[in-house]
Amino acid sequence: MSAIASRTPTISRNLPQAQQAGAGASCPVGMLALFAGAVVWLFIASLLGLLNSLKFHAPGFLAGEAYLSYGRVHAAQNAAFLYGFGVPAALGLGLWLLCRLGRAVLAGPAMVFIGAILWNIAVALGAAAILCGGSTGFDSFEMPAWCAPLLFLAYLFIGVCALLTFHQRQEGRLYPSQWFVVGSLFWFPWIFSTAVLVLLCVPARGVLQASIAWWYAHNLDTVFLGFAGLASAFYFIPKLLSRSLHSHYQAALAFWTLALFGSWGGMPDGAPLPSWIISLAVVGTVLTAVPILAVATNFYQTVRQDLGALDADPTLRFTYVGLIFWVIAGAQQIVGVLPSVSSITDFTWFGVAQKELFHYGFFALTVFGALYYIVPRLLGLENSAWHPRLLKLHFYLTFLGVLISYLSLLVAGVGQGILLANAANSFPDVMRRTMMPLRVSTVGDLFVVAGTVLFLLNFAGVLVQSCRQCCMARKERP
Amino acid sequence: MNSGPLLFLGLLATMACSWTGFVLAPQLQLGGLTQTNTVAVGDASPQTYPVAQPGLAHAGAEIYRANGCAACHTEMVRSLDLGSDLHRGWGIRRSLAEDYLFEQPVMLGSQRVGPDLANVGRLSDTNGLFVRLYDSRLITPGSVMPPYRFLFETRKIGLFPARDAIVLPFEDAAPPGYEIVPRPQARALAAYLLSLRQDGYLFEAPPPPQPKTNAVPTNAAPAKAVPAAAKPTVK
Repeated sequence: MSAIASRTPTISRNLPQAQQAGAGASCPVGMLALFAGAVVWLFIASLLGLLNSLKFHAPGFLAGEAYLSYGRVHAAQNAAFLYGFGVPAALGLGLWLLCRLGRAVLAGPAMVFIGAILWNIAVALGAAAILCGGSTGFDSFEMPAWCAPLLFLAYLFIGVCALLTFHQRQEGRLYPSQWFVVGSLFWFPWIFSTAVLVLLCVPARGVLQASIAWWYAHNLDTVFLGFAGLASAFYFIPKLLSRSLHSHYQAALAFWTLALFGSWGGMPDGAPLPSWIISLAVVGTVLTAVPILAVATNFYQTVRQDLGALDADPTLRFTYVGLIFWVIAGAQQIVGVLPSVSSITDFTWFGVAQKELFHYGFFALTVFGALYYIVPRLLGLENSAWHPRLLKLHFYLTFLGVLISYLSLLVAGVGQGILLANAANSFPDVMRRTMMPLRVSTVGDLFVVAGTVLFLLNFAGVLVQSCRQCCMARKERP
Repeated sequence: MNSGPLLFLGLLATMACSWTGFVLAPQLQLGGLTQTNTVAVGDASPQTYPVAQPGLAHAGAEIYRANGCAACHTEMVRSLDLGSDLHRGWGIRRSLAEDYLFEQPVMLGSQRVGPDLANVGRLSDTNGLFVRLYDSRLITPGSVMPPYRFLFETRKIGLFPARDAIVLPFEDAAPPGYEIVPRPQARALAAYLLSLRQDGYLFEAPPPPQPKTNAVPTNAAPAKAVPAAAKPTVK
């Protein structure tokens, strides 16, 4: 550890060479397929979310067909976000960061491409199956059983390439982002295989299924998506400010404590489980305050002299806003497991608000920020390839959308919890009284969908530019 | 932290920690859970608990799963000190691990857009469930539960009305000469919902103590209320 501290890395100096070695030389089709698929799935997920949000205005809206009924759309939305967007985006980011920071060429680009295609086919089949009634019934683990081997195989294709790329690194010293990427790379197959084995292949008996499903969902969010998003933040924020990261010790502390404590949680208080499990989950979740504080202070120390510069670059702006949302979402999760609070807020919109903030506010924003930097470089273009007005509008729409959705769901959740705590308020009455903030959240969902559409348009524009450039280059050749 | 293998081993150890705590240890503690005996209340003799679901209810659980009912309904009642679940009459006691022995898959849910369903079988009858599924607003005005019309069939009344046609609280819900008949999925779903009843008092959640009265005790009758044979006999 002392070796790290003595050699404070100046990644900004190392990077130009890495850029040539990493992205330019290798075929970017695999990574592009991962990113493009991810963004399309994000659009589908937010569209499904909007559809379900509309159902709170009129429960009969599109309820006639089984495949568009609320429960199925809800499951498909979850699956589209987590498996369509979350995992491929994390993998793509990871691959790119491993190339960049290790000054290595992507290993097995063809395999990455095949893996990306296979993964997207599996997710499409799975999502269609969920709409036809094939969900497993477990939250965040909705993909039907037959889909799991396909997903696993696709992940293996990409994961092996990522590890080979990591192995071929020329830079001996590891940067924090690399730990986070490697952590997320391993975490997903471990929890996914456990869930597949214990929930689908040889189902555990009784209530254990529920506890394992909660454990899986908590790990997938807090550790897997958390690691992937933080990897991006740890890279882009110091890099784009041309500063070195304040402290590698704090980053290491955040990394290990997030892995250790972030993986202990997810059990709601009062669940029909032995109370030691619930207590352990509460303790683990409360202790995630350590990584949150470590990350927050580390970044604050890194950027505090350049606070004004944070808004100058789109990538920086998306990333630091995402990071702030990560801190808020984490703090809310900690508050939400304290027994005095959880007895009121459990099973209300409070948890949904937290998830919304974590998924869209933290993870999606961070990925958008990274994509604004990565995509032009994968295609050999400049940052100016993005349409600046679309980019700006995308940021504001997504930011406002997430904020509106989050705050209204939070109000709905706290209101619902407080009203429900008094048994004199009948359940239907409580639901009616919390309907207003829920309906406001539809506006937020609409903004998020609109923002994603703008990003897709911008993304398509960049792809077209790249194709045009490619054709011109070919014509010029004799 | 510059060595790949060390990083891997550290991650594996952290993961193993969480896996042991939340996957293995609960399995060791609860994996062998079997049917048990209820704590007798009053003069009743202990019953075997829980009882296996009938086949139709098992098919209904699949309908419940396929339509994602757990997105809005939980199937667990919390204890008296957590929320108002018991005060709302959602159950007679908190839910226990034993209650789910025969559930497959176990869908406890994580959000309550609608009420808890752990004891819906105690609180509803078949026709009431059908009406709720057909259009919840017929019973609860302003309900956000979507109408599950696709579980029903509106058809012309033949020579005789169908025996299981649902009785709607309003005459005009079905066009004249027509009747609304639940499809097999609706019947299975109703059977599943009716099978949801956590009504056995168990060792971990004994019946509430009898209220003390000033009445002169008759010969040893109240003493029987909470018998010493409260320990479950694990088979």
